Amino acid sequence: MDLPPPSSGRPLVVFDRVEVKYSETVALDGVSFEVQKGEFVFFVGRTGAGKSTILKVISREVQHTGGRALLDGRELGEVRPREVPHLRRQMGIVPQDFALLPSKRVWENVAYAMRAIGASSREVRRKVPEILERVSIGHRADAFPHQLSGGEQQRVAIARALINNPLLLLADEPTGNLDPEHSIEIMELLAQLNVRGTTVLVASHDMLVVERMDKRVIRLESGRIVEAEEEAGLA
Amino acid sequence: MLDHLVFLIGEAFVALRRNRMLSFAAVSTVAVSLYLLGGLGYVYLRVSAFAERIPGQFDMRVFLKEGVTFDQIRSTARRIRSVDGVADARHIPREIAWRKMREQMPKETEGLENPLPDAFKVTLSDLGKADSVRAAIQRIETVEPNGIVYDEAARQYLDQGLRFLRWLGGTLGGLLLVTAGVLIYNAIQLTVVARARELRIMRLVGATGFTVGTPFVIEGALQGLFGGALANVLVWMSHTHLQQRLASLQATADLGPYPVAMGFAAFCGAGAIYGAVCSLLSLRRAMRQTT
Repeated sequence: MDLPPPSSGRPLVVFDRVEVKYSETVALDGVSFEVQKGEFVFFVGRTGAGKSTILKVISREVQHTGGRALLDGRELGEVRPREVPHLRRQMGIVPQDFALLPSKRVWENVAYAMRAIGASSREVRRKVPEILERVSIGHRADAFPHQLSGGEQQRVAIARALINNPLLLLADEPTGNLDPEHSIEIMELLAQLNVRGTTVLVASHDMLVVERMDKRVIRLESGRIVEAEEEAGLA
Repeated sequence: MLDHLVFLIGEAFVALRRNRMLSFAAVSTVAVSLYLLGGLGYVYLRVSAFAERIPGQFDMRVFLKEGVTFDQIRSTARRIRSVDGVADARHIPREIAWRKMREQMPKETEGLENPLPDAFKVTLSDLGKADSVRAAIQRIETVEPNGIVYDEAARQYLDQGLRFLRWLGGTLGGLLLVTAGVLIYNAIQLTVVARARELRIMRLVGATGFTVGTPFVIEGALQGLFGGALANVLVWMSHTHLQQRLASLQATADLGPYPVAMGFAAFCGAGAIYGAVCSLLSLRRAMRQTT
């Protein structure tokens, strides 16, 4: 399933009364929203509000139990398990904890992810420096994760998410482990990627950073949308 | 494709090197399990081979009625050989038996007429069937009533001993097989847990189940292979040691030469297959948790 370029008209993500229920808990309760291609959207709320679950439904880490969740027109519930890896190659996922391999250098972390999806060693040699430069971490290519600051580690995680040239980037609390200065740095990096055409969806509880970015915000509480603001430019 | 395969195999070796302690635990577990299993299997094979020879050494004498003709002797031989549980029936002509007896006891037999009847030396293929063999032979009309002689107590003792040995081999071998399986499964499970981060990253970037799982399966197979090789060396050493001990005791039993090449092939093959299967079982659980 290839995602279309940002210019085509159909919304990239459509949630229509989406529900996610674990045995006793309701993680999402009738959530509806649309995300156009090229948008930058924040999902905000307290822990357990359901913002991470939205990203997990899109990446098919979690399957919704009710409603419709469409990615570029395709119902995510109909994506078969063996198609999930191919679905994920259409998006970049940035986890909160960076998920870097401590025994591998910066460039090896990115190269490892590329090799895992079948890239040849020649492709890896060509593409890794380019991706590292895109997120301004090329100068630390030979460092190990423990030698990097939190912001630099997050840059590496973002670099890894860019290996498939995704048109959709999902970032789950990308500033959760960072100080305010590095948080702004990372958000600006995500905004730059957005300007180049990548649709960016960020789950965050860091309201200071969210307000500063002035993007579209969807506020959640107990699995429901309680407020949906439009991005300044789109409103 | 080849490039990708090289990556997958390389990952397995990297994991083996990086998780040295876990790899050591898995390899030594496989080695000890296969040593016990394989060693026991080897002993069992030797005992079985020995046990198979025992019934051949155990025989019963069947005496025929006086005055049986040559044709009757031939037909009796055919009938005895067709009885289930009989390995062979060899005719002992009365003249030859008498000549032997005269050679062994010349004084006692001097001046006597040959009192011996024609007889058969019957060897059994299965000691457990001695009673039914006896009954079947007794029904043959040319056989003297109560003309079958063998040591029943010795037969029973030998039969029970062999049964016990087979039971012990089967039960102990089965238990060890299960124990080894659990140990290998746990060792691989620990490796999977230790590499949970790699699994997660692979999943995040969209690696297929094949790419995620193959290095683990190769790793398990390699651990099994190394463990198998080690087990073979241990069995070989034990065999050599035992052989030297027997030689020093001047025992009549001989273990024979150890089949080194076949041992390596069998132990390494069994270890690799077992390791791969156990990794697959471990992975199934881990994959469900990380999807």
